[in-house]
Amino acid sequence: MHALIINGSPRVKKFSNTDKILDKFEAGMAEKGATFTRCEVSDRKQWDDMRKAFGENKNILIAIPLYVENIPGLLIEFLETLTPKNDGTEIAFILQGGFAEGVQLRCGEAYLKILTEKLGCKYAGTLVKGDNFGIRFMDEKTVQKITGAYTDMGREYAECGNFFSEKCAKFTGPEIFPVHVRLLVGIIFKTLAKSGFKKAAKDWGCTKPLNYRPYK
Amino acid sequence: MILIVNTTADKSVSEALREELKNSAVEAEIVEASEMKISHCIGCNYCWLKTPGECSIKDDYEVILKKMIHAKQLWVISDTALGFLDHKGKNIFDRILPVAMMYLKFVGDQMRHVARYKDKFDIGLIYKGDPDVDYLKRWNERATLNFESKSLGVFSASEIKEAVSCMH
Ligand SMILES: Cc1cc2nc3c(=O)[nH]c(=O)nc-3n(C[C@H](O)[C@H](O)[C@H](O)COP(=O)(O)O)c2cc1C
Repeated sequence: MHALIINGSPRVKKFSNTDKILDKFEAGMAEKGATFTRCEVSDRKQWDDMRKAFGENKNILIAIPLYVENIPGLLIEFLETLTPKNDGTEIAFILQGGFAEGVQLRCGEAYLKILTEKLGCKYAGTLVKGDNFGIRFMDEKTVQKITGAYTDMGREYAECGNFFSEKCAKFTGPEIFPVHVRLLVGIIFKTLAKSGFKKAAKDWGCTKPLNYRPYK
Repeated sequence: MILIVNTTADKSVSEALREELKNSAVEAEIVEASEMKISHCIGCNYCWLKTPGECSIKDDYEVILKKMIHAKQLWVISDTALGFLDHKGKNIFDRILPVAMMYLKFVGDQMRHVARYKDKFDIGLIYKGDPDVDYLKRWNERATLNFESKSLGVFSASEIKEAVSCMH
């Protein structure tokens, strides 16, 4: 199997969480003998080649960070320039986001079915997972640990060509957290997470409180 | 104040809105965004962690952002593509991020970001073209959860009267 893989994040490759997820995913594909070509929507210079590759490839995987419950504006801008295919091409998606619960990604996932149809292609499923916001801020070892699970999904995709299996559905984790977990995580939000965000801001050279209101 | 952002180049929709609003006591401001320079969001997270509340992209979106935080309602007029808002319409939403903060909390059973400003704006959509309307309604309901507000509905550009009846 050969797949065209599009990183749909507007973030430059170096800072993109999707990019790190794809590194692991592709490792799994490669283990199973699949090949792939990767391109990045954040780099407009690649758009001509990407359009050509979209026309030529029969297996396409678009990896997307959720942006306000749907796909990012920049990815829409690129997709608007494609010519619909109607030649049996299959598109599968990796949809990932910041919030941790599966339910947070379902509205975005629903759109991907509509999108596939509009592009004249066949829907090959979506691998859905949240809780990825922190990847950008983690040290290399933690990133490896967090993204490692995607390698197995890469194997699965290479073998099945889609994300319809039970294994892929389970990959999402809980749709919502049970009450006791929400209580605990709620406390973490007010304590550990808050100080973590403040530290990250300080490291970035932020000189204002994070609740600063510049326009009032 | 009601803020209406027209991301399409078609001013007839704004004109029709102006005409309809003449008969109401609503204070509304229409911004013609198609004439403005508005980039997509680049996901830098500066608005949360480096310059809280301020976008790192110095373009015309700042004008909209400043008005938005004083508005009771935000209406976005958008062309559509691939069954959804086109990129210009979606960029208006992606760039809203500075109105939220990095901090998190649970609202009901789901995580949300804490709002930066006390006042919230409800959101309505007016579309041109042929989107998946049911999906657009679902999306607007869902998107507004992130701004602690509610959806005012989704209307086609031929339903201006109906849209204006929700502006108060
Ligand atoms: C403008 C913007 C909107 C976002 N909206 C959502 C959202 O609605 N739900 C969510 O779970 N995460 C949301 N996120 C978080 C990203 O999906 C998440 O951080 C992702 O890992 C970023 O991947 P990337 O680094 O490849 O762009 C948003 C991020 C940005 C910048």
